[in-house]
Amino acid sequence: MAHHTELAAGNFLVPNATFIAEFIAFLLILLIIARYILPRVEGPLRERQEIIRKQMEDSDEAKRKLAEAEEKYKAALVEAREEAAQIREHARAEAQRTIEELRAQALEEQARIIARGEEQLATQRNAIVRELRTEIGTLAVELSEKIIDQRLSDDAQVRATVDSFIAGLEAQDIAQAGSQS
Amino acid sequence: MSNTTVAINITPGEHIHWHLFGVTLNGDTITSTLIAGGIVLLLGFLVRRKASAREPTKLQLAFEAVVQYVEKQVEDTMGIKTAPFVVPLAMALFLFIFISNLLAIVPTGHHPEYAPPPASDVNLTYALAVLVIGTMHVVGIRKKGLRGYYGHLFRKPYLLIPLNIIEEIMKPVTLSLRLFGNIFAGTIMVALIAAMPAVILWLPDILWKLFDAFIGLIQAFIFALLTIIYFSSVAPAKEGASH
Repeated sequence: MAHHTELAAGNFLVPNATFIAEFIAFLLILLIIARYILPRVEGPLRERQEIIRKQMEDSDEAKRKLAEAEEKYKAALVEAREEAAQIREHARAEAQRTIEELRAQALEEQARIIARGEEQLATQRNAIVRELRTEIGTLAVELSEKIIDQRLSDDAQVRATVDSFIAGLEAQDIAQAGSQS
Repeated sequence: MSNTTVAINITPGEHIHWHLFGVTLNGDTITSTLIAGGIVLLLGFLVRRKASAREPTKLQLAFEAVVQYVEKQVEDTMGIKTAPFVVPLAMALFLFIFISNLLAIVPTGHHPEYAPPPASDVNLTYALAVLVIGTMHVVGIRKKGLRGYYGHLFRKPYLLIPLNIIEEIMKPVTLSLRLFGNIFAGTIMVALIAAMPAVILWLPDILWKLFDAFIGLIQAFIFALLTIIYFSSVAPAKEGASH
């Protein structure tokens, strides 16, 4: 291989055999790039674009879901508020009813207590009356003695005297019962 | 060394020649092509080895940026499904030309440089243009038929038919010479700066090489973009869209 410098003999725009060498050299470079290098650059590039596209899609999806969840949350909040108001209302009504019930019960109780008291009083009074009536015999004897002592002359007078005595006793009983109740 | 000597040293078309089997090859161009191609493939295989969707390396992201840009351009001009092979073609062109052009920054201290940017030799730029435009014609004819593919050249207004034909012929010429001219001019600039006194040459040298790296990027970008745009002619014609 000769290796020396020459001045160009002719026009420097005229090619020589180097043209063929250059053509083949570039063709080889082109083929290697097309066959081995470009696909390995394009592959990851596409893959990354795909990843980015998917991530953006995911992000959109997440945004949509978030909005949805917020919507649901708000709806639930409104519902809960309504429910709370309802419960409060219900509780108030319940309380009112309970109070009324209790008041009615109390009144009933009161009436019952009063009635029982009256009943008791009546029973006691009857007992006393009965007791007094049994004592009437003794009293009558005492009275007879008194009458005899007075030397009764008139039957009518005697009857009047007995009646007025009994009436006096009864009046005393009623007065006693009234002061007890 | 006088300035005159340096000026002679940057004579256009000067190359390290290899004589192989009776043909003359520009050894410097081939060397730098192999270096640039090697770097591109090395980076490519580094990406390939560690490529992952979740933990991309910086290099992988750089490659992905190129691929994404190319795919978007192809999609916008013709639709990827029309010509899916344009994507690797434009990607390979961009990466290879870009790395090639960056070789302009690295000096080897030999004259001519052992590894000049290969695009400063028309052999490379012609080869790239022939590959691109040739593929375009072949694919166009196969997709739309001879009449269908070249039909748009002969439409009304008839006055423009010669211009249409010249434009078609000029496509590979402009494509290759634009790249060649820009990069070749860069090497001439470096040679001119090198002719300055050593005390001051470092400043313009730094500035120029930064700018040259930028030009290298732009030219790689333009070449790839034009490739995509030219290939849009193989796409099914939209009524009234082609002229």
